[in-house]
Amino acid sequence: MKKSDGKKEGEGRERGKKASSKDEKESENKEKKTNTKGKEEENKQKKGRKNSASSNSSNSSDEESLSEEELAMLMEEVEQKKKLISTMRNKPWRMIKKLSVLREAQAFVEKFEGALGKGKGKKLYAYKMMMAKKWVKFKRDFDNFKTQCIPWEMKIKEVESHFGSSVASYFIFLRWMYGVNLVLFGLIFGLVIIPEVLMGMPYGSMPRKTVPRAEQATAMDFSVLWDFEGYIKYSALFYGYYNNQRTIGWLKYRLPMAYFMVGISVFGYSLMVVIRSMARNANESTADGDDDNFVFSWKMFTSWDYLIGNPETADNKFASITTSFKESIVDEQESNKDENIHLRRFLRVLANVLIICCLCGSGYLIYFVVKRSQTFSKMQNAGWYERNEVEIVMSLLGMFCPPLFETIATLENYHPRIGLKWQLGRIFALFLGNLYTFLLALMDDVNEKVRAEVITPHLFTLCSNSFFLPHCCQASSYPREGLCWVLEVEIVRLTVSDILVTFVTILVGDFIRACFVRFMNYCWCWDLEAGFPSYAEFDISGNVLGLVFNQGMIWMGSFYAPGLVGINVLRLLTSMYFQCWAVMSSNVPHARVFKASKSNNFYMGLLLLILFLSLLPVAYTIMSLPPSFDCGPFSGKKRMYDVIQETIELDFPLFVAKIFGYVANPGLIIPAILLMVLAIYYLNAVSEAYQRANAELKKKMQLQREEEKNKRNNKASTNSMMQDLEDLLAPSTKSESSPKQAEDKKTDSPSQASPAGKQEKAEALNSSPITAGRRAAFIPPPHVMVTRPLTPGTWTPYPQLRQPWPGGRPMGPFPGRGRGQPRYVHPV
Amino acid sequence: MGSRASTLLRDEEIEEIKKETGFSHSQITRLYSRFTSLDKGENGTLSDACRCLTDELFVVEHARTAILQPTREDFQRIPELAINPLGDRIINAFFPEGEDQVNFRGFMRTLAHFRPIEDNEKSKDQNGPEPLNSRSNKLHFAFRLYDLDKDDKISRDELLQVLRMMVGVNISDEQLGSIADRTIQEADQDGDCAISFAEFVKVLEKVDVEQKMSIRFLH
Repeated sequence: MKKSDGKKEGEGRERGKKASSKDEKESENKEKKTNTKGKEEENKQKKGRKNSASSNSSNSSDEESLSEEELAMLMEEVEQKKKLISTMRNKPWRMIKKLSVLREAQAFVEKFEGALGKGKGKKLYAYKMMMAKKWVKFKRDFDNFKTQCIPWEMKIKEVESHFGSSVASYFIFLRWMYGVNLVLFGLIFGLVIIPEVLMGMPYGSMPRKTVPRAEQATAMDFSVLWDFEGYIKYSALFYGYYNNQRTIGWLKYRLPMAYFMVGISVFGYSLMVVIRSMARNANESTADGDDDNFVFSWKMFTSWDYLIGNPETADNKFASITTSFKESIVDEQESNKDENIHLRRFLRVLANVLIICCLCGSGYLIYFVVKRSQTFSKMQNAGWYERNEVEIVMSLLGMFCPPLFETIATLENYHPRIGLKWQLGRIFALFLGNLYTFLLALMDDVNEKVRAEVITPHLFTLCSNSFFLPHCCQASSYPREGLCWVLEVEIVRLTVSDILVTFVTILVGDFIRACFVRFMNYCWCWDLEAGFPSYAEFDISGNVLGLVFNQGMIWMGSFYAPGLVGINVLRLLTSMYFQCWAVMSSNVPHARVFKASKSNNFYMGLLLLILFLSLLPVAYTIMSLPPSFDCGPFSGKKRMYDVIQETIELDFPLFVAKIFGYVANPGLIIPAILLMVLAIYYLNAVSEAYQRANAELKKKMQLQREEEKNKRNNKASTNSMMQDLEDLLAPSTKSESSPKQAEDKKTDSPSQASPAGKQEKAEALNSSPITAGRRAAFIPPPHVMVTRPLTPGTWTPYPQLRQPWPGGRPMGPFPGRGRGQPRYVHPV
Repeated sequence: MGSRASTLLRDEEIEEIKKETGFSHSQITRLYSRFTSLDKGENGTLSDACRCLTDELFVVEHARTAILQPTREDFQRIPELAINPLGDRIINAFFPEGEDQVNFRGFMRTLAHFRPIEDNEKSKDQNGPEPLNSRSNKLHFAFRLYDLDKDDKISRDELLQVLRMMVGVNISDEQLGSIADRTIQEADQDGDCAISFAEFVKVLEKVDVEQKMSIRFLH
């Protein structure tokens, strides 16, 4: 160590001497070296400081000695710099250089003098360094922490690496949904259920809060509870349990008001969050990059992460590279498909006609069946089939139509990504269509007899019933004892059975099937894995629609059964883990793995539609049906929204009530709506204009890039040739061609890259103006541009200087030659 | 410890390495101890012995060049390289043509490609020889990983080999072929159906190679 120190010092001194010598080149070089060295030293210094600060590190003694050594060196550097500053005046350099060197040296001294000074300066410096280090480390840790906080990120990434981004998009959607439901859950539990439990009238104080005596004996049985009867039914999880006391507890909490407002804000928040995320996705999808140029090359050369050290991660990375290659292959195949456009069009039209036929057929079938069921219901001795015909038919339609659609969709030969959208849209249309024909048929028949309240449970029934396996729910035959709990209990029961059906379907359809295929393959007469049953693929469209419909049900039911959202949160949580497991264990990737579109706005669009549709019945019941008189927080009122009026009248000063009265006037509301429509129109127009401008700019950029590319190509291949030509041609031709013209010529011939070089040469020899123009474009004329205005007529780029430097050299001394040096004419 | 490792290295050697690669003194000693711990192959016993005898400089002077030369197998024990599809290529990059062992100088020279470019180095003009960690040298290092036959061109066959390493048997040969073709088609500018270094640089123009091909060495 000692030896090396001495050596370095010697070297440094030697350098110091050199610095003041006349050998300019040397000195400049040296300066650079010391500079870099200084920085290095600085780093080392930091390290040393840090280690000395944290003295518990194991090898601190070693570090200490190192930093001592470097400290000495640093000190020496600083001394040297100081010397340099003081002798700066005498240096035979140009002023600019002097200034820059001076500044550098001063900065250096300023920076390190504190570090080397005694006492306070040193400590302060060490402290500052330590804090900076700590801060950087903290920021990095915080970033890591943030990524770790994203729930299930690892799981989803793992699925993505094996099954592609399309399957992962479902899980991302599921996660997003979970987040939304969590917020809703917090809202409802925090503002409705918990206040009721804590401060509301206790169980048993009113008839609506007590289990009827007849049921008391069995109210705690599991089978009863499982049906959401007994004690569960008479709990704060349901609308009917609440009473119409205006304020509860010592806080004077206005529970009916809160109930109403939470019910509204659940929808408000959901709408807002869906629309906002749609808007954000739209932003992202327009903002994405222009990196379509080297897709495969980048995948090939840069996909592996060289810092992966964990075999499991490496496996995932392998899978994800493979998947991404597959995705790109699919995209590539799609874009290069040579197609018979007429045949394609014909097939697509045909497919759509077929599907519309299917939809109409299924609609008619349902209408027919519902009509028939009315006659069956009049008969006394109807069998099981007759009683359940509607459910059975709808379930069968729900089961067989989607595969049929998929088969028809193969005719269309869309890109799988677009195909998935069509498939989703069609199944969605099928279910909604079925639902509405069913409702219409039902309405038709029982128009006067049944109130709309009874229809609503049917709607829920069908939502899930038509989509999933038949889980014979007897919504229509459910005994209507009191109107209060029918609706809500029915919804909750449906949700739960829906969850179970989903999980059982996955278990049987995927897991058992996979086990069967896997293990029976040893003793079977054909190849099960490659042949008929094979492994299941992950059904993206089915799962997404299941999620969307389920959410619709939750939205619809959350007003009447506040506990429903809690159940849904649990469901989403379990289904996240369960489906991840099921996918990884028993599914195979799609035959054509395709890249999901970056924004899953299509899913969001479906969700928005469902949200709107589920908002309708709830809004209808709130606005136009009188609430039940014997249960619920609004009992005794004419309409539910009366609770707001009541609050305003009783709890606010008079003028607020007056203002509210004016605002609620239709004369004010209609203009307000008009204004909003106009605003929407205006904003829409503006955004369209922006979009157009954006597209224009993008195109321009693309063009510019291409132009630049061509320019570079031409330059690379023809530069030497052009130089030859330049010597051949008389300089006089140059003055005839303006740079503008040259520009034109150059852009005109973008495709004539290197292969056509020879030909170009011949051409160039024939027509001199073009050549001249070309040369003018190739010669970068730096000083001409600067020193005199560019006038086409007099543009002559120093013919006498032209020979060795086609572009001309900047005037003035050669770089690196000081003023002190005798200026000599360069030998050219 | 570092001091021990540094006694194994002669100071002038450190100086030379420093000049050549731009690593700092402490980095070199640290990397040297890493280098010695790599050598666990059949030479292991010898190098252990050498470590015991560090006080006797004479032995060390002789042992240093002869013993501390890890072989390919030693490198393959590094987990990051063992699972890397291109691991063999990287290991090869450490070994000079036709040799099975690498000495510390060569080791450092290869590692220098991965030294991050520091701010003050960017402003430096191109007077001296280009530092090993410059952008073009980094790219050239990467290029050599793909260019097996060292003809300064990545041919279709070479691409196919790399592809097979990266995706294994999951994609059919035909598709791999089309990927390779497509890659060449994307990158190829002069129409020779191979990717030259210039074209390679062009492809990776927008990739932040300076940052991606850098390892943070401990100071």
